[in-house]
Amino acid sequence: MGKRTVIPIGPYHPLLEEPEFFKLYCDGEIVKDMVWETGYNHRGIEKICQTKTFEQVFFVVERICGICSTSHPFAYANAVESIPGIEIPERAKYIRSIVGELERIHSHLLWVGLAGHFLGYNTVFMWAWKYREPVLDMFEIITGNRNSYAMFTIGGVRRDIDAEQATQLLSVLEDVKIKTDLLVGAVMDDPVIHARLKGVGVLTAKDIHDFGAVGPTARASNVDIDVRRDDPYAAYDMIDWKVITAQAGDVFAKAEVRLLEMYESISIIKQCLEALKKTEAGDIKAKVNEIPPGIGIGHAEAPRGEVFHFVKSDGGNSPVRHKIRAPSYTCIPTFRKSCIGGTVSDAAIATAAVDPCYCCTERMTQVYDHSSGKHLMNSAELIKLSQQKTKELKAKMKV
Amino acid sequence: MDIEKYMTDIKTKFPKIIETEVVNKKRLMIYIPKDLLLEIGDYLFNELGYRYIIVTAMDSKEGLEIIYHLSDDKSGWVVNLNVMLPRNKPEIESLTPVVYGAEWIEREIYDLLGIKFLNHPKPERFLLAEDWPKGKFPLRREYIEEKN
Repeated sequence: MGKRTVIPIGPYHPLLEEPEFFKLYCDGEIVKDMVWETGYNHRGIEKICQTKTFEQVFFVVERICGICSTSHPFAYANAVESIPGIEIPERAKYIRSIVGELERIHSHLLWVGLAGHFLGYNTVFMWAWKYREPVLDMFEIITGNRNSYAMFTIGGVRRDIDAEQATQLLSVLEDVKIKTDLLVGAVMDDPVIHARLKGVGVLTAKDIHDFGAVGPTARASNVDIDVRRDDPYAAYDMIDWKVITAQAGDVFAKAEVRLLEMYESISIIKQCLEALKKTEAGDIKAKVNEIPPGIGIGHAEAPRGEVFHFVKSDGGNSPVRHKIRAPSYTCIPTFRKSCIGGTVSDAAIATAAVDPCYCCTERMTQVYDHSSGKHLMNSAELIKLSQQKTKELKAKMKV
Repeated sequence: MDIEKYMTDIKTKFPKIIETEVVNKKRLMIYIPKDLLLEIGDYLFNELGYRYIIVTAMDSKEGLEIIYHLSDDKSGWVVNLNVMLPRNKPEIESLTPVVYGAEWIEREIYDLLGIKFLNHPKPERFLLAEDWPKGKFPLRREYIEEKN
């Protein structure tokens, strides 16, 4: 075994939203091993939840993740409502699905932008984030907030969607669809992106099963799972939609799954808005008197995969145990498979491909010389290396 | 999934099972002794191909309780394995050799509740700070009482 170089990624870097630390052990260009450290941002939310009432927990879990801030309340609602077996009004189901899918659109747009940046396509980054803005504005119109929407409550939702908002939402969706076409074209028809992403960071169906990976990461490896279909909640069993999968398991397949999922989300929201017309306005919350003793297990499909909540009640005002599992918790360990054996310049995009959520699990990247412990590279330089590789590919392919 | 048949079948296959219970819609709880864990875990995860979700541990009245959550994605059922450990000797065999993905959560449970996982490939601190006092487990009852 020759001399190995250690490349640390993180824990604190202006490029990363929150701290996390990866060490890549490299032999020349090739990543040989990978170690991660977490806990830089452990906030003890599970413990905090035990001190709040069942209603207040919604506002706590909403703050676990700033990007997909409705996925945790979604899973928590499914868990806690299953204890007394509450059936929520149909209108509330549709509204929940609308908020959930709108979130998927903005989260996937955010990812497309970031992935573009990592590859050196900064125009894609600017575009994607620009197109994401109207979606966030739409959130403000519907829920009152661009982020942390505070839309869910036990037994339903806290705000109704009126006809005027529905019309506005439809026009935003039309616009998003056109922009998605544009992004899909930019990614799918670009020979450089094909050359850069195909065969990079491959995960097999067995890897997915071993790590328990979920969401687009699993679906890109042809593992056909989606909680929305497998264990339907909200309005997902009342409308027509399909689960997107891809075969290859590489970064390109993950991008493909996310881009095509946006079309499905647009279609789901449109159907929900249509269905809203047939239900009575204002009927958005079932009456809930108390949460009896018992166990509630709920999950929901967030943009990054399944969010899982376990709630135990002793008949009191607050949960006695609340366990939360974010999708990144099982997706991040797959880096061991997707990065090891690949090159350092592919590590940035291979890690970014699972869309790891810093807030949900935490992370960061840097590079060290293994024998001397000398610091060689930080995340910015690593991303630069990734961008450099794209540039070289472009030059080689004469585009 | 025909749950009645499923419960009878699994009890016949593993006579050591203490009890099976449908706790909620599509949620099955299987109470097992701790020496059955690896065998039944291997059967559900590898043979039936259930998806590993996560492990919940908590300090309950009877002792330290661990719940392994597995998902049968074909039917939408969540199958849970429930093991109760005595408070004076909270030890259990690590599930990581069978379910690779369980590595992180077992380290986390040791940090927060002090349950020891035997034969864990990497029994190191996971979430808590390096200078966190040894023998203090923030999700234990005595820690909460001590703080108050």
